[in-house]
Amino acid sequence: MTTATFDMPVGAQKPSSTAGIAVALLLPIALVNAIGFILPVFNLARMSFNEALPGGGIAEAFTAANWTGLLQDSFYIELILNSIMVSLGITFATLLASYPIALYLHRASGAWRTFLTVLVISPLLTSAVVRTYGWIALLAEQGPVANVIAAMGFQPPRMMFNTTGVVIGLTEILMPYMILSLMAGFGRLDPKVEEAARTLGATPFRTFWRVILPLTLPGIALGCLLCFVLAISSFITLKLMGGGRVFLLATEIYDQAIVTLNWPLAATLSMLVLIIFGAALAVYSRVLRMIEG
Amino acid sequence: MMHQTIKRDGVETIGNPHLSLEGINKKYGLVEVISNLNLEVRKGELIALLGPSGCGKTTTLRMIAGLIAPSAGKIAVGGRDVTHIAPHGRDMGLVFQSYALFPHMTVAKNVAFGLEMRGLSRADIANKVAKALAMVQLGHLAERKPRELSGGQQQRVALARALVIEPSILLLDEPLSNLDAKLRDEMRTQIRDIQQELGITTVFVTHDQVEALSMCDRIVVMKGGLIEQVGTPHEIYERPTTPFVASFVGRTNRVKGKRTGDGCIRIGSSMIRSARPAVQDDVMVMVRPHRIHVDWSAASTERQGETQNRMAAVLSRITFVGDVIQYHFDVGGTEFIVEESTKKSQASRRQGDEAVLSWSVEDTLVFGADQ
Repeated sequence: MTTATFDMPVGAQKPSSTAGIAVALLLPIALVNAIGFILPVFNLARMSFNEALPGGGIAEAFTAANWTGLLQDSFYIELILNSIMVSLGITFATLLASYPIALYLHRASGAWRTFLTVLVISPLLTSAVVRTYGWIALLAEQGPVANVIAAMGFQPPRMMFNTTGVVIGLTEILMPYMILSLMAGFGRLDPKVEEAARTLGATPFRTFWRVILPLTLPGIALGCLLCFVLAISSFITLKLMGGGRVFLLATEIYDQAIVTLNWPLAATLSMLVLIIFGAALAVYSRVLRMIEG
Repeated sequence: MMHQTIKRDGVETIGNPHLSLEGINKKYGLVEVISNLNLEVRKGELIALLGPSGCGKTTTLRMIAGLIAPSAGKIAVGGRDVTHIAPHGRDMGLVFQSYALFPHMTVAKNVAFGLEMRGLSRADIANKVAKALAMVQLGHLAERKPRELSGGQQQRVALARALVIEPSILLLDEPLSNLDAKLRDEMRTQIRDIQQELGITTVFVTHDQVEALSMCDRIVVMKGGLIEQVGTPHEIYERPTTPFVASFVGRTNRVKGKRTGDGCIRIGSSMIRSARPAVQDDVMVMVRPHRIHVDWSAASTERQGETQNRMAAVLSRITFVGDVIQYHFDVGGTEFIVEESTKKSQASRRQGDEAVLSWSVEDTLVFGADQ
C-alpha cells in the first residue's frame, strides 16, 4: 500500500499534464520571439522583394530585382567580401589578444581570479560609443599613440578614419566577449593533463600545440563565432572610427535605409547579413562536430 | 631523530642510489611543507611515500617529477643532478591520481604521445604502443577515447602511457584511490608484477597503509613535511620508531604508563615489561590488537612472566566483523581492543565477562609520552 505511493511522483503519472505545463511555461517567450523577432524578419524578407522607386518610394511587388542586381554589382560583391574579410581579421586579432588572457584567467584562482574577471567584464559596462571616442583620442593624428611612435623615430601611420582604426577599435571592444567565450570553453583543460604532457617529454611549446590548443578548440570556435557575428553587424564603432571612409555592410545598410531611402535594397542587404550569420553558424557546428568526434 | 633514521636506512645501507633527495626543503610563502628531507632509493626498488593528507608526500613526488621546484636541496637520478631540469628533460613516468589522460586522443595516441615527443619512427611507436597495451591487457581498446573506458581501464592506460617511454623512474600518485575495492586489489598485484618484471625504480605515493605494506620494498612514513621512519614493511609494522608510525600503520591500543625503578612500566595497578627500555618517566605503551591473547579462565594475573605481560580486563563490547571479531575490554579505565579470528565458541561471550589479557614483551611498544 505504502510502497505504491513511493513508486512514482503524482505528476509523473500524467505525462500529458507535464507537457501542458511545459507548453504554458514556454508560451510567453515563444510569443515575444514571434512578435519581436520572427515577424520583423519576415517583414524584412518580404521588403527585399519589393520594388524601390526613385525618391524613396516603395512599390508593393514580388521581384527578385534587388537580389539579382546586388549579386551582379561588383561594388556590392566587393563590399560583402570586404566585410567578411575585415570581420574575420577582427575576429582573429581578438582571438590572439584574448587567448593568453583567458588562459591565465582559467589558471588563476581565488580572489585574484574574481578580481581579474571583473576587470575583463568591466568594459562591457561602458557604452561602445564612449570607448570608441576613447580610441579616437588615442589614435588621432597628434594623439598619444602617434607621438610614442614618432618619439621612437618612426613615421606614425594613419590609424584613424581607415580600416586600421576600425580593426583596432573593434578588437578591443570585442575582447571581453571573446575572453568570456574562451573561458566557458576551457572546461576540458585540466592542469594535470598539461603536467602529464610535460612529464612525457613535451616541451612547453609542444604541450601547447598538442594538448592545450586542441582542448581549447571548443572555446575558440565559440568565441570566434560570437565575435565574427558581432564584428560584421557592428555599426557605431565602424561609423565613428571609419569616419565615413570605410564602407562595409553595416554602414551601407544604414546609408541605404536612412540616406538614400532605398528600403528594399537595405532589406536585401540585411537579409544577406542574416544569411552570412547562418553560414557562420553552420561552419561553427561543423567545426564543433569535428572537435568532439 | 630523522637523521638517525636516514643514517640507518639510507646513506649507510645504500651504496649507489638510483634516486637521491638531499636536504630537500619546500616553502610556500612562510609555510614550510617539506623540511630537510633526505632519501635514497635503490635501482629497481618500489618505495612508498606513506602518510596522511597534507604530510608532503605528493609535494615530494611532484618535486621528483620536476613539476614544482624545491626551495632548497638537491635531487639526483643515477648520479645526475636534475634539480634544475624541466619535467620534459627528466625522463620520468608519472601516473596521476585522476589519470590525466588526453581526452582528445585515442588510447593508442595517448600511449604513443611520449614516444612521439622522443622522435621515434612510426613503426617503432606502433610496435611499442601495442606491446605496452598488451602488457596492461587493453590491446582491444586501442582506438577508444578515454571517456569510453571504465576507471580501471583508464588507470591502466595511464600506467601504459607512463611505462612505454621506459622512464628511469616511475612515479605513482595515489593511482588506486579512485578504484573500487575489488579492482584496487587486482591492480595492486598487477602494478607490483609489472614493476618487478621491468625492474623499474618506482616511487608510490599513498595514504593507504595496506597498499604500502603489501606492495612495496620499503616505506617512507611522512608526517607534517618530515620523514618519521624509513624501513621495510616488516620493520615499519613490527618496530615503529615513533608513536605516529605505530598508530598510522596498522591499528594499535595505546595506554599511558609510568616507568618504575626496576625497568618495568606501571599501568594502573599492573606492571608490564617491554623489549626496549622506556626512555622517559612518562610513557605511551602500544600493543597491536591481534597480538593480544585472551585467557577467559585465568583467575589471576600474578604469574607475570619474563616474556609475557598480563593484565586483568572486563569485556565491555563485542564487534563482529565477519572473519574477525573485536573484543573491547576495559583495563582499569582504558579501552583495549583485542582481535581474534572468528570461531564458533565466541558466541557465548557476554558483556561483563572477566578475562586476563596477555601479550609478548616483544610486542610491547613503548614511546615517550610527549613524542
